[in-house]
Amino acid sequence: MSAAPAIAARTVAREKGNAFPVTVVCLCILLAWYIAAIPMNWVITGPKIDAAGGGLANVLSFSWNDARPVIPAPHQIAAELWKSVFTVAPWSVKSLLYHGWVTLSSTLLGFVLGSLLGVALAIAIVHVKFLAKSLMPWIIASQTIPILAIAPMVIVVLGSIGFTGLVPKSLISMYLCFFPVTIGMVKGLTSPEVMQLDLMRTYHASVNQVLWKLRFPASVPFLFTSLKVAVAIALTGAIVGELPTGAIAGIGARLLQGSYYGQTVQIWAALFMGSFLAAALVWLVGVAERFTLRRMGVKP
Amino acid sequence: MAGPVISARELSLVFQTADAPVYALSKVNLEVEDGDFVSFIGPSGCGKTTLLRVIADLEQATSGSITVNGMTPQEARLKRAYGYVFQAPALYPWRTVERNVGLPLEIMGLDNASERIARNLELVNLKGFEKKYPWQLSGGMQQRVSIARALAFDPKLLLMDEPFGALDEIVRDKLNQQLLELWDRTKKTVVFVTHSIPEAVFLSSKIVVMSPRPGRIIDVIDTNLPRNRTLDIRETPEFLALAHRVREGLKAGHSYED
Repeated sequence: MSAAPAIAARTVAREKGNAFPVTVVCLCILLAWYIAAIPMNWVITGPKIDAAGGGLANVLSFSWNDARPVIPAPHQIAAELWKSVFTVAPWSVKSLLYHGWVTLSSTLLGFVLGSLLGVALAIAIVHVKFLAKSLMPWIIASQTIPILAIAPMVIVVLGSIGFTGLVPKSLISMYLCFFPVTIGMVKGLTSPEVMQLDLMRTYHASVNQVLWKLRFPASVPFLFTSLKVAVAIALTGAIVGELPTGAIAGIGARLLQGSYYGQTVQIWAALFMGSFLAAALVWLVGVAERFTLRRMGVKP
Repeated sequence: MAGPVISARELSLVFQTADAPVYALSKVNLEVEDGDFVSFIGPSGCGKTTLLRVIADLEQATSGSITVNGMTPQEARLKRAYGYVFQAPALYPWRTVERNVGLPLEIMGLDNASERIARNLELVNLKGFEKKYPWQLSGGMQQRVSIARALAFDPKLLLMDEPFGALDEIVRDKLNQQLLELWDRTKKTVVFVTHSIPEAVFLSSKIVVMSPRPGRIIDVIDTNLPRNRTLDIRETPEFLALAHRVREGLKAGHSYED
């Protein structure tokens, strides 16, 4: 079998081929960021630079190292991230890991609830004809309401009946993330070909058998595509849900605190933490997707 | 079994379309006896697939009567009286060969699944491919899996809708030969839709020649060729005479047009 090493070599080559453009794009963004930081921070740093006597060295050092800049330089964000992740105890309120975990826990609960709701709605819509026409407009309307407008209402109303903390935030995540799952799964559950469905009819298969032996397996690729979108917006939902709670804990709380006190470096560090979380979640769904599809014998 | 397996009387099916009704089947009369190999042959639009789908209760006639094993097609379908082979294999890609063949057994809750699967895969010469996924097989092999799947629950009647239409001639010849052996060995009743004259003559004990607009039967030919024939029979005068008669029938049908 001489073909196997050849294929392996080609795969490695392709991955190596990816690394170069990715690095170049990252470097370009960093470069643009550093350059843009100079004019953007000028309102704050301009007088200080003048006082120090001007010169390129002063321009660079003041523009890129101010404690409360309009836009912090990348190394400042990296330093803040390092400080708030590695130099403080993970359970302290100063730790981004703590805040990340608070957000992550309500994200995950909301994601699970939203995915279940999304799949359940899709199954109902596919099986009951009138639901497709009567339910779909409401589902679409639900997503046209700005979440920022209803999140505080949800939090306040639930808070008044004793639900605080995790659950209200999760409900906002759920509200946002069921939608792509419903849309994707309706498509997926109706994806089997006419012949595959006719085959079930010739067997006199029950509705349940058609669902679990044909419709559901056929919808799996659609499910994972939807879940990737859903998990990312579940995180957004959780962060938005943290904003109106008076900013106690979570990435959203960090963002709000940062903007109260003009701590732009802290805001950006929290933003990056949120992005890392989102990327990790989407990546995990991708891993689950590859594993599941391989188990299902999909052509690699 | 007493009485015909399939009996159609004055069977008609009209599709209502936006501009004009389409007469897919018009006053079809047909008897299929137990153990027959019956081919429906005709150009596209002659209603051959529609007739097969009416027998399978995938389509409902608008007038006339039809019985399958003495029952309505619906009762026959609910009793799982037939195995159906489609134009395409229609395998479930997430199931291995053996689990595809086992699908009807799972649905019907039949036991001895592994023994039935093994026996039917052997019948279509696919022993050793149990763990393969459909994409790992050629088109001809996939269609053989779908035949094994149709036979898995041992129906007495096999309905086949142009099963080899998408395959090349060499593969088709081979599968025709195998299908004939399978018919001879299992003594099943087969109803087979095709638009290939040699295929129809080679396989059938009875050829039903059909014609379009409206879809109808214009000739029914009993072939009386020996049950265990080989591909060589296609060179014999009897075979050529039958093929000629089918061709004449198809021509006569076409002369109705325009």
